[in-house]
Parts: sequence; C-alpha cells; structure tokens
Amino acid sequence: MSIALVTPTPLRRMIDTGRELHAPLIAAFAYYLGAQAAFVVGTLSDKIFAPFWPPNIVLLCALLLSPYRRWWLVILAVFPAHVVAEIGVGMHAPQLMVAFASNVMVATVSAAALRRWRREPRWFGSLRDTCLYLAVTTLASPALSAVVGAFVPAMSTGSAGRFWSFWAQWYLSNAVGSVALGPVALVLLDEVRRRRLQRPRRPAVEAAVLAASLIIVCSVVFEAGSVMNSSSFLPAIIYLPLPFVLWAAVRFGVKGASGAVLLLSVILVWRALNGPSVFLAGDPGTSVLALQVFILGLAIPVLLLAASIDEARRAEKLARESEERMAIAAISADVCLWHIDYYSNRFWVTDHGRDILGFPPGEILTRHAVMNAIHPDDRQQAVETMRAAAAEKRLADCEFRIVRPDNGEIRWLRCRARAHGDYRGALAEISGTFADITERRSAETELAQQRSELAHLMRVSMLGELSASIAHELTQPLSAILSNAEAAKVLMTQKPPNLAEAVEALDDIIGEDNRAGEVIHRLRGLLRKSEVKFEPTDVNDIVNATLRVLHTELTTRDISVSTSLTANVPLVSGDAVQLQQVLLNLLLNAADAMNEVVPPRRIIEIGTRRTNTQDVQIIISDCGAGLTPDHRERVFQPFFTTKARGLGLGLSLCSAIAKLHGGSLTLENGTSGGATATLTLPALPQLQATG
Amino acid sequence: MSFTAFLVDDDLGVLKALSRIVRTAGYDSLSYSSPRDFLREHDPSIPGCAIVDLTMPDLDGLKLQQCLMESGDDRPVIFLSGRGDIPASVRAMKAGAIDFLVKPVNREQLLSAIAQAEARDTKTRQERCERLSIEEKLAKLTPREREVLHHVIRGRLNKQIAADLGTVEKTIKVHRGRMMAKLQVRSVAELVRLTERMDVRGTEQTATP
Repeated sequence: MSIALVTPTPLRRMIDTGRELHAPLIAAFAYYLGAQAAFVVGTLSDKIFAPFWPPNIVLLCALLLSPYRRWWLVILAVFPAHVVAEIGVGMHAPQLMVAFASNVMVATVSAAALRRWRREPRWFGSLRDTCLYLAVTTLASPALSAVVGAFVPAMSTGSAGRFWSFWAQWYLSNAVGSVALGPVALVLLDEVRRRRLQRPRRPAVEAAVLAASLIIVCSVVFEAGSVMNSSSFLPAIIYLPLPFVLWAAVRFGVKGASGAVLLLSVILVWRALNGPSVFLAGDPGTSVLALQVFILGLAIPVLLLAASIDEARRAEKLARESEERMAIAAISADVCLWHIDYYSNRFWVTDHGRDILGFPPGEILTRHAVMNAIHPDDRQQAVETMRAAAAEKRLADCEFRIVRPDNGEIRWLRCRARAHGDYRGALAEISGTFADITERRSAETELAQQRSELAHLMRVSMLGELSASIAHELTQPLSAILSNAEAAKVLMTQKPPNLAEAVEALDDIIGEDNRAGEVIHRLRGLLRKSEVKFEPTDVNDIVNATLRVLHTELTTRDISVSTSLTANVPLVSGDAVQLQQVLLNLLLNAADAMNEVVPPRRIIEIGTRRTNTQDVQIIISDCGAGLTPDHRERVFQPFFTTKARGLGLGLSLCSAIAKLHGGSLTLENGTSGGATATLTLPALPQLQATG
Repeated sequence: MSFTAFLVDDDLGVLKALSRIVRTAGYDSLSYSSPRDFLREHDPSIPGCAIVDLTMPDLDGLKLQQCLMESGDDRPVIFLSGRGDIPASVRAMKAGAIDFLVKPVNREQLLSAIAQAEARDTKTRQERCERLSIEEKLAKLTPREREVLHHVIRGRLNKQIAADLGTVEKTIKVHRGRMMAKLQVRSVAELVRLTERMDVRGTEQTATP
C-alpha cells in the first residue's frame, strides 16, 4: 500500500501529465483569442500588422506562470494557435515563422528578465519592480525582438529600405501591448491566485462609473477632435481622459491604472483604425504610430504613479498591521505603549494604557495631565530617572505610583522609556512602555509584611527565652528602689531626721526608676510590631544596645564578651530593631555554642569594622566547637537546627534581614576554633566626611 | 560592739540602697561590687555577716560562700537573688546560709535575717573565745599532767592511774592537783564539761589506740 502511494501509478502519471498540459493548452487558446481580438480591434492596411498585439502578453503570462522546464511545452502549444491565427489573415509561412520567432523572443526575454530581477511577490508591488517591468517589457525586449520582427513586413512588402520604420512599428506594437495589456493581465492573474476577485460593493460601483466616464469622455474627445479638425484645441482635448486615468490610478492603484490604460488604448486604437481619429495623419500607419507614442507616453508615468501609490498604501497598511500586531503583543504582555511629544505637549498612549491610567478613550491628553496623574511622592524621582537616562542615552527604568484621575485608585506602574533630544540636546520626545505591576507590588508588600511579622514572632520568642535574665534586670532597679524608699522613710522619721541622706535616697530612687524604664523601653522596642524603617544607623550603637539587653543573660551563663568596636565607622541604612534582632540571634547562637566549654573560656568576641569595599561589618566569634561542613551548607535553610528546642528559623530570618538591608550574612569557622558570623551591610555615602 | 554587714553585689545601685538600709538600722556596712575584692579585703575578725547576690559575673554567691568556708571563716551568709531559684536556695541553705531572700527584698526581712546572723555570729565568736581560753590552759599542761587528765576524765581512781603509769599514787595526786589548778577547775564534773567542749577525749583516743 505504502509503495503504491509513493510510486505513481500509470493513471496518476496520466493525470499529472494532463495537468501539466492543462496550462499550455489554455495558453494556446488564449493566444488564439488574443490574436483574434487584435484583428477585431484593427490591423493596418496589410491586414497582418496589429498596432496592439495581445498574444505576446498571453505568451509572456504563460511563461511567467510556468516553470522554466515547461517553457518548451508552452511554446510548442502556442505555435499551432499562432499558425491558425496568422494563416486566417493570410500570412505566408516564412513570415509566419519569423513573426513567431520574434514573438517567442520578446516573451522569453521578458519573462526570463522579470523572473531574474523581480523582487516583490506581488506584481507591480513596488516602484522598482514597475520600473523593471517597463524597462524590460517596453524597452529592452521589444526593441530586441523588433530587429527580428521587422523582417516580417519587410518580407511581405519586399522593401528592405523601410526596415527601421517596420522596426519602429513592430517595437511600438509590442511596447504598447506591454503597457496596455500586460499590467492588467498580470494584476488579474495575481488577484485570481490570491482569490480576491470579490471586491466590496462601493469600489465596484466606483470602478463601473469610472469606466463609463472614461468611455464617454473618450468618445466625446474623439467626436470633438474629428469635428474640430486641426484646431489648436486638439492637443488640449487629447488630455481630457487623463484626469480619469489618474482617478483610476489614485483610487485603484496599478489595477485601476492598468485597466484604464487598457480601456483607453483599445478605444484609441479602434477609433484610429475604424473612424475619424484625433491623430490625423496622411495614412493610418503614421496615425497609429502617433497613437502608440501617445499611449506609451501616457501609460508609463501613470503606471509608475500607480505603483508608487500602491507601494505607499501597502507600506501604510503594513505599518498599520505592524502597529496592530504591536498593540496585540503589548496587550497580551500587559504592556502599554506611550509617547510624549514636547513640541505639541501631547501624550499618546495605547487604549489599554488609557484603561490602566484611567483616562477616558478619545480624550486628547497633554503631558501635564500625565504628570499630574503620577503620585506626588513619586513624581520627582520619576522625572529625575528619565532625565538621567536621557542624559546618558540609555533606557530609563523606574517604578512609580499613579493616582487614577477618574476614581482616585492608586496603581503601581513600571515604566521603561527612551528619550530623544533635538539637535540642540533639549528633550524632544520620549517614548516607552509601562506595565501595571500593582499586583506584584501588593504581593511584595504582603510578603514583606509576613516577613516582618515572622521577624516579630521570632523576636518575641527570643525574648521569651531571655525572660529570666530580663526579669533579673528589672528586679535590680526595683530592689534598689524598695530599699531606698524604706531607708528614706526611716531617715525621715527617725529622731533627729537625716533629711540630707533621705534626699539622696530619693534621688537614687529616681535614677533607679529611670533605669527600669530604660529596660522596659528597650524591650518594648524589640517587642514592638512596627513597619521596617530604614534610617541612618550606627552599627556600634546597635552592638551596644544588643549587649545591654543580653548583659544579664551572658553573665548568668558565665560568658564574657570582648568588644572591639571601630570608632567612626560609617553609618548604614537600616532598621535598628531588625539589626538588633540579627545580633541577638547571633549572640545567643554563640552563647549556645559554648555550653560545653569550661567557664573561663566562654568568650564571645564582637567587633565592627569597615571594609575596603565601602561596607560595614559586624563580626561575632565564639569559642564553641564550630560548624561541621554539613551544617555550614545548611545553616541558612529554614527549619534547619542543631538545637534540641530550636525552630530552625533564626538564621534564615537573619539572612533575609541582611538581604533586605542590601547586605549579607556569612557563617564560617574562625581561625581559633568556633564559629564566626559576619554581617556585612553597605555603608551610606559619608556626607559629613570632612566635618 | 558594732556589727558590720559586708554587702557584695555587682549592681552598684542595689549595693548603695542595701547599705543605706543596713546603716539606718544601726549596723556598719562595707560594700563590694566584686566578689573577688571582697575575698581579698575580707577581715574575718570583724563581727558581721555577708549579704551576697547570687548572680554575679566571675564568681557567683554560692562559690563565694564555698571560698569562705574553705578558708575556715564561718562568717554567716545571707543570699539575695533576683529570682526564686529553688536548687540554688537549697544548696545555699545546706551549706549553712542564714537565709535566702528573693529581690526585691524588704527592710523587715533583711533586718530580721541580719539579726539572725548577728545572733549566730555572736554565738560562734563566744564559743571560739571560750575554746581559745581552754586551749590556752591546756597548752600549759605538761605531758604527764595531760596523761593524768585523760585518765581522770575517764573516771579512773588515782590508784589505778598510778598502776597504769607505773608510779605511786602520791605522784599522781600531785600531778592531778597541778592539772586542776592550771585548768581552773575544782571538781571532776567541771573538768569533764570543759574537756567535752574541746573534744580532748576524742583526740587522745585517736592518739593512743
């Protein structure tokens, strides 16, 4: 079965052959019809020479439609048609052969040249292709074949002296055919192939009106021309059809222009041969010659004009299609395109963009309307980003909020834009895209909030672990307050009262109370659930505050702390509470790591320093057992813990906090055994470096 | 005679307040913010008690108590603690602490503890005093008189002692008389009470099996 499918059966081969013959046979038929049509329109006095010879165009079309390897078949098929047609008008065999040779020559040369150099898939698709067509089919190949063709009349009249006049006749008849009939035929074939013959109703009506007008005007012109007879109005009158031809060219492009030219040519030739013509000359031959020159002179510029119009129209269509594609792509990517023109102050944006920005469709937008839509807090930053990007000739990329003018809703946009300056360097226009990132932003906000809540929970749980030492820290001032108060009471009531000492005791009470207040204040700071606030922060302050919170805890656990804080370390941008939390966590880890170490050796070293790369580091080392390689890989993973009662969230959270601050947290084994945690934070640019 | 409270706490505010309480009650006070300072400067001869914070860096209260005991100082100790740490309190009381008070401690509690400490301190000091005088007297005895002493407090007669020591009754009588005079006792009963305090019998028994 499969073999049968692949190998052509004899029947199949016959069908294929039939198909192959199909086209040449149609071509032969059309050739014959073309010849007959030419004879109907009119031939010169010798009854052979037609001023307008369609069969060559038929042959040209057939060759253009057939592959090279079947050209011989087409030529072979056309030959009988030629013979039948020419014998019908009484042509002799040698003439007939030479004429055929000439016809084949003009068609093959044209077809080969067009095939070789044509670029557009569509006929007369561009001005260049139209020029090529005209150069090949109305100039080169007719001129060449006319050298052969001129022998035909020469053979019949026997006067070789008029060879060049015959050559001109032969050349012009082919050239006129090429401009009058060729474009129509090729455009129609194109249309048939593209199956777009059905046109909308209105253009069809217009085309009919146009054709009718053209016919009427031509008739009027010729009637008037024949009546006026060598009037000085004649050259003027002859141009009357021109507006209609131009109308056709402008409205219908090459299709219309070629149709109008064909119509005009047929009428002119027919009138020239069959009645009083405008082109009055001594003999019809000269008259036809003039007519042909007229047609060529009219048709060539009109065709070129029509081709240009078509090309422009197609370019416009392509641009519109491309814009539509762009718009579709933009919508599917949820991106809006926009453009600001500084001269007209106009703001253009895609409809999708209008939806997002909350501008009603159709309203003309100004640059200021858009600027006003940007959230006041973000406006300055957005403008500065644009300016900076424009100055550096790069793509600006910024995120800002807009307040929708229609309902006041706030949306986040990510905007990418490129600015173009004019020749003086001033901003001329900005074009770019924006996308609605409100959802992403709110997801981010939610995530940040969750992270902040988790951080808070971890702080609470950490302080819970420290509750005993915190209680102790509160007990000390409370204890002192109680003792002082009781002592003061005694001092005042004893006889004689010792008021000086009592006042001292009361002063001490105030001092101790403040101290207790500070403890509570510190705790409240850590227990507070507040938004992350980035402020210029001194890491040394953070270290000291954290050590104060942990003082009792570390004392109770026989851990001594050795601090080496670098003075005047640059400030960092950070949230003091979260940074304290990181240090608390790291210090407690360090403390836990030393549970097995004998008390005098339980030492935590904590230091701050500035790196070469403008970073600030806080380094915490313990004297515990250090990390095993396995632990080192996994310490920052959530839920990894080496403690019996740990959650395993501490370090992963610390790492997240470090990243939030644009820094990093690393954990390594120190040189003296034990682990070393390094929190690196980017330093703020030092404003008061000299002050 | 004045009584001194030795206050040891790493918290200066607490230290100051405690000293004020103690002084308003009419006691002397000496404050130490570090347990090591206290141990270094401590004079056991001053009557008084130590009031010690349980939680201190370097050396905590229990260890300080241990150090005092090891150096033979039976200074009464009152503990103060920021939290009711039961195991620590048990250990402290077993080691002979006067009291274990939880901060914030009120004046009454503290003063009653100090009074208790004063009572114990006075008592131990008296006992030590007596013992010292007895020891002094015992030191004056000749070896022969000491031998006689041992026999006497075991209730033996002069005759038996003389036989044991291989001498005559009269000699024993002379020794006994001198010994009684040196120890300033008039009866055997008095002699026995005195020697009981010093545990003379015990030491002698271990010396002569």
